[in-house]
Amino acid sequence: MARTIRSMTRQVPQFAALVAATALLVTVSAASAQETVAVKGGRIITMAGEPIENGVVVIVDGKITAVGANVSIPVEARVIDATGKVVMPGFVEAHTAAGLSQANESSNPSVPYLSVMDGIDPSRPYFEQARRDGITSAAMVPGNSGMISGQAAVIKTGGLYVDDMVLKSNTAMKISLSPSGGNSRMGHLSALRHELDAAKDFADENADADVSTLEEAVQQQLQMAIVKLVKGQMPAYIYCADAMDVAHAIQLTQDYGFKATLVLNQDCYKAADQIAAANLPVILDSTLVFWETNPRTNENERIVTTEIFRAAGVSFTFQTGSSNNSTLGSNYLWYQAATAVKYGMPEEEALAALTIRPAEMLGVDQFIGSLEVGKDGDLVILSGEPLQNDTWVETTIANGEVIYERSTDSQLRRLLNGDAENN
Amino acid sequence: MNTTSVLRVCVAFGLLCVACVAPAAAESTLYKAGTVYTMTGEPLSPGQVLVTDGKIAAVGRTVNAPADATVVDLGEDSSLLPGFVDAYTQTGLAGGTDEFTAELTPDFCPALAIDWNDRGFEESLATGTTTLAICPGTENVIAGCSCLAKTTGEKDSRILQNDAALFISVCSDPARRNGARSRPDGLYNRLPTNRMGVVWILRSTFDKVRRGREVTARDEIESGLSGQRPLMAVARTSHDITALLTIGEEFDFAPPVIVGGQETYKVTEQVAAAGLSVILGPMTTGSSNGPERTELAYNQAGLLSEAGITFAFSGGNLLEQARFACRFGLEPNEALQAITKTPAELIGVSDRVGTIAPGMDADLVAVDGDPMEFTSGIRFVMVNGQVFEQ
Repeated sequence: MARTIRSMTRQVPQFAALVAATALLVTVSAASAQETVAVKGGRIITMAGEPIENGVVVIVDGKITAVGANVSIPVEARVIDATGKVVMPGFVEAHTAAGLSQANESSNPSVPYLSVMDGIDPSRPYFEQARRDGITSAAMVPGNSGMISGQAAVIKTGGLYVDDMVLKSNTAMKISLSPSGGNSRMGHLSALRHELDAAKDFADENADADVSTLEEAVQQQLQMAIVKLVKGQMPAYIYCADAMDVAHAIQLTQDYGFKATLVLNQDCYKAADQIAAANLPVILDSTLVFWETNPRTNENERIVTTEIFRAAGVSFTFQTGSSNNSTLGSNYLWYQAATAVKYGMPEEEALAALTIRPAEMLGVDQFIGSLEVGKDGDLVILSGEPLQNDTWVETTIANGEVIYERSTDSQLRRLLNGDAENN
Repeated sequence: MNTTSVLRVCVAFGLLCVACVAPAAAESTLYKAGTVYTMTGEPLSPGQVLVTDGKIAAVGRTVNAPADATVVDLGEDSSLLPGFVDAYTQTGLAGGTDEFTAELTPDFCPALAIDWNDRGFEESLATGTTTLAICPGTENVIAGCSCLAKTTGEKDSRILQNDAALFISVCSDPARRNGARSRPDGLYNRLPTNRMGVVWILRSTFDKVRRGREVTARDEIESGLSGQRPLMAVARTSHDITALLTIGEEFDFAPPVIVGGQETYKVTEQVAAAGLSVILGPMTTGSSNGPERTELAYNQAGLLSEAGITFAFSGGNLLEQARFACRFGLEPNEALQAITKTPAELIGVSDRVGTIAPGMDADLVAVDGDPMEFTSGIRFVMVNGQVFEQ
């Protein structure tokens, strides 16, 4: 159901309250209500302190109520045996458009009032693959084209209805610095600033004004998202297509006073030091290793973005590649972490980049990202140590509910062996 | 400073240069590794490899090295592997890979059309590949012969063989090109514009060869059919593979090597019975469909192994492909075979590369850790004894 439409049709006086309500956190509890689950016997990598050998995680009504070695299991609990296995927080993907049906609005480059909540398609293959790979939460973000492309949401990967999946809606505004609609970079940036300036003016003049007509209310509703951005109440994702875009992105955050996470294309590694100085978090392009030829000297160089950003001291996380990305394995989030480790990232840091770090970037670390009492019951049971070749996700649990089990994953068997049995 | 001392300095400098430049005459280096995967038998753990003058002089758990040999200890977690062999690639092939004005170009050889400074060679080397089969494209029915070369080195010493395997296309690629609607009439309006035409051209050409009729580049085609040189057939779908088997039976040619082979897993029995080997096209994990809408099975390598079919990986990033194949169900040792010994045999250079044994080229890959782990990096790649640090 369309969120904006729903609130716009309500009565005018309650308008402000409604806007606030739609932006509120909505944590899922419907499906997992009244159930107690205990995962016992595994090595628990909590991402909040030392790993616990032979530990127990208890989840009641979708929330973690106990984590530790000497935890008594409630009698009513459904016990999942993880003996000899590894238990980790569910993985978090900080930026993807793969869960959206038509992720880019091509009719208008400036659509801050759009929300991904109206475009998420839970039946897309992304979700099935995400559950299989241990991703329990993912930020759904409008695509990289456009200019001001709409609002992102953090959702759980298990579920059939978007409303049941949402963890936090309207989390951030997507801005793209890649020129759209035949514009030059100058034209694109000018148009973007024009929109932001208009939002600032609107905020200054109308924010507290009484609205007397429905038309005005609708107008205000449409403006609210971008007004929140320029008031610093909503952060942004800024997509930088080239390294030169980074300086503009940083300038925008300073001029308009909002926080931002940078979504970087490959070339942007050249701006690593700039990003470090501005202290902005980063989501790396899914191709972590690539080659470049210097156009003047013809020298070839292998670029490993994870090492460049680590050396610069930038906090980053990964995203999965699209299915037509030719980099083998880049469609797996865990593989991105394994690649980073191969080129020098300490394993602990790589695991953080799959869990608590993206949770912090998304501003939802009070709910997800580590196994701690009070957080959502989101975890993965791995057959062995994380990032090892023969380690598979055995079970994925979100909100205390099992959303994936390898033992019953017939689709995986088909992916691996085709329909060879039937030929 | 008097003239004598100046002279002395010059002479000393000259000698120094000679020492640097001279081909490492009888210069030996002993590499000690945690595990040496010789690919000729069980891995040696620990193992040692003695490299002398660009060749492998000795390999074993311990090796008697000359007293003046340099010793490099790679550490107990390290692995030494033979340099990887990419059995099918177009790396470096400059100025187009396909001939548009003819269907039959059996005597085309890439060797003189290769840009040896192409970045692809460097990329290949960095991922551990030391030998490549550089092959013509897939849009000619009989496309030409491959060139076998090292990924680095002086041009003349890089080429192992100028005209190796003969390539035929048993797929829709040649038809796709002629059938393209954007092509003008006339020159391009000719056979084949569908896949039946591709097969017809193959059969009629082989028929002419058998009957002694006039045919383009008879020597190349005949040597491919008789097994004097490897015959490689680009075939991806299961029906293309069975068509290849049928043509093979009809003309009784030596078992060809399937190239691409994305749907081989569907026809393992027939392929195994006919004794065909497969050079698998580059692996993908992002999609369940491959080129020509083939249906992929991620564990194809494991399925072929179960069926007793010989196979190699190709198309770059070989170690990563082997790792994923291993994850999807292939035994680690077989995964390593499929990027070293087997491709060397299939392209016909196993007397020089693909294993670590005395007399072989000193082409090695040193890995920090278990070679099958995604987190293990390549420390260096060696080609003809020359080390390229990563």
